[in-house]
Amino acid sequence: MTTRDLVLAALFTAIIIVLGLIPPVSLGFIPVPITAQSMGVMLAGTIIGARRGALAYGLLVLLVAIGLPVLSGGRGGLGVLMGPTAGYIFGWVIGAFVVGLLAERFVREGQPAVRQMAGFFLASLIGGIVVVYAIGMPVVSLIAGTPFSKVVMGSLAFLPGDVLKAAIATLAARAVMVGYPLLPQKA
Amino acid sequence: MLNSLHVEGRTLLHRLPAGPKLALLAAVSLALFFVQSLPILALSLAVTGLLYGSLGLSAGEALKRIRPVLITILLFALVNLVLISATEALTTTLRLLSVLLLAASVTATTTIAAFMDVLTKLFLPLERLGLLKAADISLAVGLVLRFVPEIAARYEGLKEAHRARGLPVRLSRILGPLIISTLKDADSIAQAIDARGIRGQ
Repeated sequence: MTTRDLVLAALFTAIIIVLGLIPPVSLGFIPVPITAQSMGVMLAGTIIGARRGALAYGLLVLLVAIGLPVLSGGRGGLGVLMGPTAGYIFGWVIGAFVVGLLAERFVREGQPAVRQMAGFFLASLIGGIVVVYAIGMPVVSLIAGTPFSKVVMGSLAFLPGDVLKAAIATLAARAVMVGYPLLPQKA
Repeated sequence: MLNSLHVEGRTLLHRLPAGPKLALLAAVSLALFFVQSLPILALSLAVTGLLYGSLGLSAGEALKRIRPVLITILLFALVNLVLISATEALTTTLRLLSVLLLAASVTATTTIAAFMDVLTKLFLPLERLGLLKAADISLAVGLVLRFVPEIAARYEGLKEAHRARGLPVRLSRILGPLIISTLKDADSIAQAIDARGIRGQ
């Protein structure tokens, strides 16, 4: 790992923390307020790629563990990492990796803009939503004892907000690809 | 902006080294997971509650720290009360509250430096495998803490710039410039680190 990779990951972790400081917004048509922070999974993967993206999130989990209130709403400390929603937080690391892996394969420079956006959006949906939910929901069920089917139903409330986040992340990822491309590209 | 959750003190938990303390937390949490008896779980809640209460935090601050997770746990308690038996719901809630209080106690009594020492030791096997360098972890943590205030200020600046031009402030518009302007610094920061030989290369 080069020093540049390390610095890029650390700067991205800092961006994710700042996104957590922005107050959550309530959109009329979604029952739950959405925070900008969980969009970071999609942003990290699509902008700095799989390895550095996962590193950025690993670093975030580490900061939570050592007792810094870096999660949205000023959450932090070991209590968060051992609570019912811990699976989502660990799932972010793997989610960011999968988003990056897919984006590195789907998107390259010189493609038409629509193609790039479609690639970023698909990568964000699969890695940022499917993977994160697939890890988070069973852990909720295991720790809180709530039946899995009910957890799945409850999670549906967050789905519209997360799809919206994937769309916003796609716009940002494309803007960065045009302005300052960083995504490693693989065949 | 990012204040550590550590509080000064001389209690038993403060004096216990971080390594054993974290091992204790892991062991107790794992053990509680297999306990089904209500009296034992109620006792563990009482013990962890007393422990958390004796750390020298003011009542307001003590509550503020655990409130987000506390709300989540109570929410699940309500849902569980409807979905599964009351005994099961109570068992889970008592267990989760005990783990929360114990974890919050460990967080409050352990300094960042002590945590970092434990982490560096934990990462040593990975370093021997050549996967990463343990010293890089503390370098990265330092970088994050250094840049959070700067990026937050940059975000405010972008908001102001949008307002000054009569544009509505939208996250989707601000993210691109925020990320590009931040990551563009990566090269010069990396050069500065290498020029000083901080990573020993």
